[in-house]
Amino acid sequence: MIEPVLFWIGSALFIIGGVFDLIAAIGLVRFPNFYVRLHAATIGAIYGAVLPLIGISLMALGLPELPGRYAIAGASFVTAILLLIVAPIGSHVLAYAAHKSKSVEWNPVVDHLAEDEAK
Amino acid sequence: MLKYLVVWLMVFTIYIVFTGSIAPLTLITGLIVSIVLSITTAKYLVEDEEKLKQPIRLLYLVYYFLKYITVIELRAHMDVVKRIITMDIKPGIVRVPVASVSRYARLLVMSSITNTPGTVVVDEKNDYFYVNWIYVSTTDPLKARESISLEFERFASRIFD
Repeated sequence: MIEPVLFWIGSALFIIGGVFDLIAAIGLVRFPNFYVRLHAATIGAIYGAVLPLIGISLMALGLPELPGRYAIAGASFVTAILLLIVAPIGSHVLAYAAHKSKSVEWNPVVDHLAEDEAK
Repeated sequence: MLKYLVVWLMVFTIYIVFTGSIAPLTLITGLIVSIVLSITTAKYLVEDEEKLKQPIRLLYLVYYFLKYITVIELRAHMDVVKRIITMDIKPGIVRVPVASVSRYARLLVMSSITNTPGTVVVDEKNDYFYVNWIYVSTTDPLKARESISLEFERFASRIFD
């Protein structure tokens, strides 16, 4: 009884993740510079990757005839959690490196970090 | 002693969930791997053993995870999706004071800020986070803290401080 429910919830999460991935891709094209594009990339990393992975694990649990379904469900879920933990480190390091090297030209409203570094 | 046990239990649980099987070979491999890892890493991973004796912290972490992945993330995602469509952006880097003490709490606050679309932590200096914000509504550090990191800090202090 619970299996079809799990399968459909998983499918819904999977499709929602795909939609967010598409929106993130559009954002990456439309946004003007690196610092703003990072925000679109975050959409692709969280609701575009973590959510579909949780969806896959629910879908696998909802298919009793699937061989090795516990392995698929477990691996997807653990990968989703790990992605949630390590994804921000990547974003942070990219932003940090870009700001340190001053390789991105942009017109921020305010840049407290540059002000404090100039002191 | 407790810290070795907790680290062992965590690694073993993750191993078993990841492999998705309780065959004898998996159990033996998992036991060996988790025991070796707990002996070698527990002293670096756990700073204060007393905090492990308060399970309420774990409950807060679970509650925070569920609230974060549903309510907080959805709000931030919809905001940035709206900005992708309307292109209504005002980017900048603002100073945000951080009050959390322990390193784990700070890491949790930093990860939470960076994981919500619209805010990315660029640097940390002298108890300030420098946050790259997609729409700078205020340049005042305290007001910025209210809209960026106050909720994360409350949970981070309850979980790790």
